[in-house]
Amino acid sequence: MLEAIQLKKTYGDYDALKGLDLKVEPGDIYCLLGANGAGKTTTINLFLNFINPTSGTAKVCGIDVTAQPLETKKLLAYIPEQVMLYGNLTALENLRYFARLGGHDYTQAEYQAFLERCGLQSGAYAQRVRQFSKGMRQKVGVAIALAKQAKALLLDEPTSGLDPKASNEFSELLIQLKGEGASILMATHDLFRAKQTGTRIGIMREGRMMQELGTEDVSHADIERIYLEHMHGDAGRYAA
Amino acid sequence: MITSIARKEFAEIVRDGRFKWTAAIMVLLLITAMMTGYQKYSASIRIQQAAQTGTNEQWLDQGDKNPHSAAHYGNYAFKPAGPLSYFDNGISNYTGTAVFMEAHKQNFAIGRPASDQSAIARFGDLSGATILQLLLPLFIIFLGFTAFSGERESGTLRQVMSMGVTNQQLLWGKALGIGVAVIIVVVPCVLIGALALSMAESIDHAEGVGTRLGLLSAAYLMYAGIFLFLTLAVSAWTKHARTTLMILVGFWAFTGFLAPKAASEISKFTEPTPAFGKWMADMRAHQIRGFDGVPPFVKFAQYTKELFKEYGVTSVGELPMYFVAVRLQKLEEYDYPVFDQHYSMIRDSYAAQRRVQDKVGIAAPTLPLRSISMALSGTDLIQHVKFMTDAETYRRNMVVKMNDYLSKASVHLNETYSSSNYMRADEEVFAIVPPFEFEPPELSAMIDEHRGNFVLLALWLAAAIGLALFAANRISLERS
Repeated sequence: MLEAIQLKKTYGDYDALKGLDLKVEPGDIYCLLGANGAGKTTTINLFLNFINPTSGTAKVCGIDVTAQPLETKKLLAYIPEQVMLYGNLTALENLRYFARLGGHDYTQAEYQAFLERCGLQSGAYAQRVRQFSKGMRQKVGVAIALAKQAKALLLDEPTSGLDPKASNEFSELLIQLKGEGASILMATHDLFRAKQTGTRIGIMREGRMMQELGTEDVSHADIERIYLEHMHGDAGRYAA
Repeated sequence: MITSIARKEFAEIVRDGRFKWTAAIMVLLLITAMMTGYQKYSASIRIQQAAQTGTNEQWLDQGDKNPHSAAHYGNYAFKPAGPLSYFDNGISNYTGTAVFMEAHKQNFAIGRPASDQSAIARFGDLSGATILQLLLPLFIIFLGFTAFSGERESGTLRQVMSMGVTNQQLLWGKALGIGVAVIIVVVPCVLIGALALSMAESIDHAEGVGTRLGLLSAAYLMYAGIFLFLTLAVSAWTKHARTTLMILVGFWAFTGFLAPKAASEISKFTEPTPAFGKWMADMRAHQIRGFDGVPPFVKFAQYTKELFKEYGVTSVGELPMYFVAVRLQKLEEYDYPVFDQHYSMIRDSYAAQRRVQDKVGIAAPTLPLRSISMALSGTDLIQHVKFMTDAETYRRNMVVKMNDYLSKASVHLNETYSSSNYMRADEEVFAIVPPFEFEPPELSAMIDEHRGNFVLLALWLAAAIGLALFAANRISLERS
């Protein structure tokens, strides 16, 4: 479970996050929507302990990330917009390396199974990832998350730049992980994908959570309308 | 965890085409340097042994003559090359390889290899030591400058840090991975050098060659460690790989080129060597006026009186020895303290300069390593000073033996009225002067002399590790 309690982050005079409260339960895919600078990536960075909060608490499975960063990182998997891998290593080697960093080790067949599950073509397993497309790298990124057996996933615009097919495959994987009880927090600009994949949506603007929605309660069109109204600053009547 | 990081680091490095090229160049240079160094060493040993044997034979075959004339005919001492000089030829290109030993004069060494070389020699020889002192740090910098800053730029650092790895694990893993990549390039070359040495015909010119090699390896290992951890520290500290590279190459140029030159200039300024002309003139004047202000002829007149009194005689003809020989020897001895003082002045100024240069090592790790390397290779000032001291001891002994023999002529003259036995010496007489043999300084003394440099290297290594740990601990992904 991921939980943010009055989480604040300030850079000098700039408030990047203004007292965020958030809870992502196991089996939830929580999609954070918002324009650039809304605080989505800051939220993810706080959960990863890449940055320290100015005040408030971020918890992973009930553990404060600031107090026990290594413990919470063991429970997390992180997939950024661009999964960065080591170009001179093969897909399998990258997967093995990151799995070992996460404290896990598997047989060759198991590593291959992770890659297969993520939809990477078997011919690419032993190829150096330098030549991989973004979609292929994202698949290796998901395989890393799978191999880590993470309880919670933090995804920072993971489908950005992916073609529709790859994006769809990615969404299917997320839904599978959700079914396995993972708590997933995904920052995205993709309203369609948020509605299709997510269980809940949080709309952020200028470091604040403006509104939370259940994806089953609203249509695609509603999400788009509400989102745009928040972006134009005219959505007080929709606030939860 | 550390092993996994090290393995990945190593795999990434060795698969990089640039590594293959630079490693190949390093190996080629090192093996070339070792082989040419070894060839030079072997040739030098052969020449030295042949020259020493030749001069010893010349001494014996110089023909019957007055023993004191034989002392003037003189002899040469040839300095044997240190057993590790093939690796580091130190200052031996500039210190001379032979000393002419003759009556009444203490000479400087002659036969400086540098004087036979072209202007290009000013850039220094390609020796194993030069490559390890200058190119090895550059190689390490090249392998490691992207360790943190490069990963930060490419984004893999975020990925890694999200896995629950501690900064220290990352640091040690990277250090191990890069270290192994360096070792697989350097160690085989050094082993080839050591193998060549073990096959050498003559390695008995210094005790404990194995110990020397061990200490030399330890010193170079520490030096490599210093650059490895400094590289990691700067890489962890800076945000961009380009900045890391600029800082590290700047430091490399400082410690490898600027600091030694600056140290040399500073040492010459603070501990000046006397100008040769003035030094020589002062020594001559000192000889004439006497070491203690009493001119030699006055001293000798006093000595003659004492001699007459001792033997109860009133003229030199009554003395039971050949008075001319006694006079020659006494005048020789009056010069000993003058030579000692003036030559010491030169040696002391060089030693003081070396100590100043060693102190600059606080700012540049190449300096203490250079001193240690030369000392263990037997190509430093201490080795040369010991050779000069041995040669002077030999010279004095040679002259004493010849004058002593000559001094017996009087007894014979008085008895037989023939000077043929003692006024003329032959091969049998010359043989009482044993061949010159150089005893290199004891290894323990050399280690004592360079204890400070070993400490300095160790401190540099400790500081580099400390800095790397500090920089790794403050790695922030705040703005990356």
